[in-house]
Amino acid sequence: MPHKTVRMSGKIIFNREIAKGHFLMSLNVSGHFSSAEASFRGVTPGQFVMLRAKGRDVPFLRRPMSIYSLYPSAGDLIIELLYRVAGKGTFVISRLKPDDEIDILGPLGRGFDIFPHCKRVVLVAGGIGIAPLSFLGHYYGADTVNKPPQIICYVGAQRADLLVGLDRMDEICSDIRISTDDGSRGYHGLVTELFEQDITLYNSSDSVVYSCGPFPMIKSLAEILRNQAVPCQVSVEERMACGVGACLGCAISVKSGYRKVCKDGPVFDIHELVWD
Amino acid sequence: MKENMKDPYNTKLQVDIGGLVLKNPVMTASGTFGYGEEYANFIDLNRLGALIVKGISLERRVGNPPHRIMETPCGMLNAIGLENVGVRSFLDEKLPFLKNFDVPVIVNIFGETVEEYRKLAQALSDVRGVDGLEVNISCPNVLKGGVEFGTDPDMANKVTRAVKSVTDLPVIVKLTPNVTDIAEIARSVEEGGADAVSLINTLKGMSIDIEGRVPHLKNITGGLSGPAIKPVALRMVWEVVKSVSIPVIGVGGIMDAADAVEFLIAGAKAVQIGTANFVNPHTTIDVLEGIDNYLIEHGIDDINDLIGTLKV
Ligand SMILES: Cc1cc2nc3c(=O)[nH]c(=O)nc-3n(C[C@H](O)[C@H](O)[C@H](O)COP(=O)(O)OP(=O)(O)OC[C@H]3O[C@@H](n4cnc5c(N)ncnc54)[C@H](O)[C@@H]3O)c2cc1C
Ligand SMILES: Cc1cc2nc3c(=O)[nH]c(=O)nc-3n(C[C@H](O)[C@H](O)[C@H](O)COP(=O)(O)O)c2cc1C
Ligand code: FES
Repeated sequence: MPHKTVRMSGKIIFNREIAKGHFLMSLNVSGHFSSAEASFRGVTPGQFVMLRAKGRDVPFLRRPMSIYSLYPSAGDLIIELLYRVAGKGTFVISRLKPDDEIDILGPLGRGFDIFPHCKRVVLVAGGIGIAPLSFLGHYYGADTVNKPPQIICYVGAQRADLLVGLDRMDEICSDIRISTDDGSRGYHGLVTELFEQDITLYNSSDSVVYSCGPFPMIKSLAEILRNQAVPCQVSVEERMACGVGACLGCAISVKSGYRKVCKDGPVFDIHELVWD
Repeated sequence: MKENMKDPYNTKLQVDIGGLVLKNPVMTASGTFGYGEEYANFIDLNRLGALIVKGISLERRVGNPPHRIMETPCGMLNAIGLENVGVRSFLDEKLPFLKNFDVPVIVNIFGETVEEYRKLAQALSDVRGVDGLEVNISCPNVLKGGVEFGTDPDMANKVTRAVKSVTDLPVIVKLTPNVTDIAEIARSVEEGGADAVSLINTLKGMSIDIEGRVPHLKNITGGLSGPAIKPVALRMVWEVVKSVSIPVIGVGGIMDAADAVEFLIAGAKAVQIGTANFVNPHTTIDVLEGIDNYLIEHGIDDINDLIGTLKV
């Protein structure tokens, strides 16, 4: 369903540190902009918003954040974001308290394509990359008619205490496989290595792989999947100024040239990406 | 709409830019508003004084490799490298959308040679829906053309003449701040026949990633824009206003109506909103309404009575 991007004000319900430097933020966007709810009705997983703390000049530009979850509640619309403090922008956002207001642009970008009749949905999340994948998993899980028989999730983090979002994954996944870089929980190593061990299970077109995580992770996933039949879509990142396709700042190299992450993406076919 | 915001029919905001009569002095800066459609969701384009589109070249340009932007204190660096669809696609695919609106469209043009500027002006003249040209001789992010023309008074004069020789459209020449004496360049384009000048384009700058010891931008350097450059832009507008008799359009770091009013008092006949659109897509309208309120509060019936009233 087509939707319209709007600028709106969100009121913070809570903004809670759930692991060191990792926050879950819940925003109420209703009542401020009557069109907000209508705009977000057609949202697909993988789409994002751009945030700016109200009344603060630092940082100057907005910060992009994937939608972690979205639901109506007692006539209001609630948006949840799961984020990691990466620098000064996310730090400022992490200091916001309940009832503080935040300026939001959204929904933005093109989300993940949904494959309605696939048998297996495989999610490969690196760190905070779990945010859009959790939304996607629930989107598939909520489809009463075409719900895929299996939703399998691979989750990697640096350490056990930095694994976030597992509770929500539990609700929908038939299998969750965990890795940590230091071996403090699950497989000791990279999440892509763990995924590669199982690749024969998914090498067919009735499965689909989705991923989001740091660039090196996406790159090794692309190598693993190079000669496999399974389709794979990834959500990628690039620095953004406008988020709406006007500045051309968020270019990324794909086989056919440059594409705008904010408008043509952030979701791309993994085999379209160019690595240099 | 509030009672005091009768624009676009609010004649007291009307300004004349080299024969192009604008319903108000608020324009979008090239490269910060796409081709208009990107922001049509957020604001009513009809309310803008004029819409200046992303710089157009004869052929499509792919632009510079990523990363192309970096945030800085109070602004940003960009090295887009004039990515654009090319003049043909602009006319076929982008202009039809803009024709649905009652807003003058000014096309920002860029060439690598004087001949390319001439051809672009030719291709855009006599096209319904194109109301003016802004000649970009000031982009710091391309190897050939651009700032090369903007820093040399003779070249700037030549480009202006070439463009003027093939078009009847109002011609605005956009100047670079990356020179020692901007007034000298302004005089040379006035002499070349320019109907107006706009200034400033971005200031050349850079930024370094100290972990990797590499530049943040693939292009190494980029153009600085945003509030950080406003004092420089204002000073240059002031200097140029004193040196030429054609209208001057002020650009650089305008975030709100107060910023815009500063430029008007310094002598700018109109203003362009650039980077601020990225932060708040509604800035142009906020600025427009704020200027209107300023006039009301100060009992000024015609914006032209405010322009160039700096007391020194
Ligand atoms: C489509 C999209 C969705 C995202 N979703 C999430 C999410 O759900 N959770 C989460 O924790 N993070 C997410 N990110 C990454 C997040 O936007 C960055 O971590 C954040 O912008 C860093 O800002 P900072 O000021 O804290 O860091 P700084 O390093 O100080 O940022 C400086 C500048 O670089 C830009 N920048 C830096 N890193 C990134 C980056 N990785 N992506 C985009 N711009 C960047 C900032 O916008 C800013 O202009 C997403 C990024 C994109 C592009
Ligand atoms: C991302 C970006 C792209 C730009 N592209 C162009 C362009 O194509 N042609 C041009 O003449 N100026 C271009 N500019 C310069 C702006 O039009 C403006 O002169 C400059 O950004 C200063 O104004 P500001 O501080 O309000 O942004 C660009 C600026 C930015 C930030
Ligand atoms: S962020 Fe401006 S075009 Fe993508």
